[in-house]
Amino acid sequence: MPRTWVVPPKGLNDAEVALVETYNTLVKTLEESGDDLEPFERHNALKAVAALWQVMNGLDLDPGQLYDIGA
Amino acid sequence: MPDSPFWNKRHETMPRDQLEALQVRKLQTLVQWATDQVPFHASRLAESGVTPDSIQSLDDLRRIPFMTREEWMRSQVEHPPYGPILAAPESAAIRYHMTSGTTGRTPIRVLDSMKDWEWIAEMWCYGFWGFGVRPADTVFFAFSYGTFVGFWGAHYACEKIGCLVLPGGNMTTEARVKQIVDMNATVVCSTPTYALRMAQEANKMGIDLANGSVKRLILSGEPAGSIPATKKLIEDQWGAVAGDTAGMTELGTIMVFECSEQPGGTHIIEPHYIEEVIDPISGEPVGYGEQGERVVTSFGRGFIPVLRYRTRDLVVKVPADRCSCGRTLDIYEGGIVGRVDDMKLVRGTNVYPRAVEAIVREFIEVDEFQIHLYTAEGIRDEIEVLVEIPDSNADAETILKKIGTELSEAHEGLRFGVRQVADDTLPRFELKAKRLNDERKVIGGAGEKRGS
Repeated sequence: MPRTWVVPPKGLNDAEVALVETYNTLVKTLEESGDDLEPFERHNALKAVAALWQVMNGLDLDPGQLYDIGA
Repeated sequence: MPDSPFWNKRHETMPRDQLEALQVRKLQTLVQWATDQVPFHASRLAESGVTPDSIQSLDDLRRIPFMTREEWMRSQVEHPPYGPILAAPESAAIRYHMTSGTTGRTPIRVLDSMKDWEWIAEMWCYGFWGFGVRPADTVFFAFSYGTFVGFWGAHYACEKIGCLVLPGGNMTTEARVKQIVDMNATVVCSTPTYALRMAQEANKMGIDLANGSVKRLILSGEPAGSIPATKKLIEDQWGAVAGDTAGMTELGTIMVFECSEQPGGTHIIEPHYIEEVIDPISGEPVGYGEQGERVVTSFGRGFIPVLRYRTRDLVVKVPADRCSCGRTLDIYEGGIVGRVDDMKLVRGTNVYPRAVEAIVREFIEVDEFQIHLYTAEGIRDEIEVLVEIPDSNADAETILKKIGTELSEAHEGLRFGVRQVADDTLPRFELKAKRLNDERKVIGGAGEKRGS
């Protein structure tokens, strides 16, 4: 299934928009450059993205699945 | 931001029409995911003509075939160890858990990825936060931390909230009570039965729990957390408020929780689940206030999609406004009120009589047997198997020990007593056998919740 980037909808406050952008950046980094990361970088980023996925899901932003990047 | 009574206010106070629209949207996504990734679901959905686009309202949910525990287990037997139900490669998993099966030794095995595991904790966060648990709390878990999923997700939820977590695995009851007192725990998590057991032990130790540090008990694993008289007894003995929760291994986490208003039931976490209540015979939906069987569809655990799973739990759904907390999430009045099937819950572990029989019958020396459930010391559920071994040359002691070990291994380490009784003392059956004798006392006598 192709990756769907989370698009911040209207109505989110600035802090929430920042979380959406952080999530997208993390997913993109892991997807495109995960192999360039040291183990401590990659695996801590995966933990972070798994946690931020809960925020995207809690905001009902349809974040899809993350199994392909290891989360 | 001031302290909120809600973990996710948006979700928990969402107007019902928006909530249903959200569920429809999530259902479409789930059907697409299951169709694309899971052969088990793909064929069933195709046979029923269900596609994501054909889901336009919650009424369309009923076109999806029911999924049963028996089918799930059979699929695992035919395609071990997990069956054709995984939506992601095993290599993506970080956790394995299991629950005892309905027959023999085959458990239901489940896997979770990092993101799913976080979601499992997230569901518990709704419950803990909703019952008033906050970062300043010190939370003690009276839990064995094994392959039974139990309070695992709750442990991580409390870490997420920022509580100080005291993992009370592998400890005697006395040691647990001592740690609760020594560490000034403010929240204790256990089964209802074990909460009473700890209170009894504290009494023996000369400890006055009712005037101690514990302010909240989070109960799970047994229906007693919503039986008013039992709950009152627990609350009186601990001098704390007790909140009920219920979950299942098939979902990995809880689907309902009691909020701090204690409405006499548990809110359904509906933004993450669709919980239908049906007539267990006809399969048709029943209305608010009518007792029926829970059927769950979960949007959370992507690794193992769960669509219209028949839980065999009996519930009575009532509207959210039964509670004054402001949540728009409907309520199961009285929590889980019973079972459609013959499953018994013993200290939080599922026990199916036919699974016990399958193991006992492997011992050809056993001529007859009976499963005996009773209440020890006035509060503790115990299970024993009474057996007749008429062959005087048989090594009865070894057989009893082996049966006990094998039963325990098939039931997440649950302790089974196995006792030999005199020949021809157990009842014999010509037609439908009833080898289960449930003599447990329903504490408080608030009504039969254990059914036989």
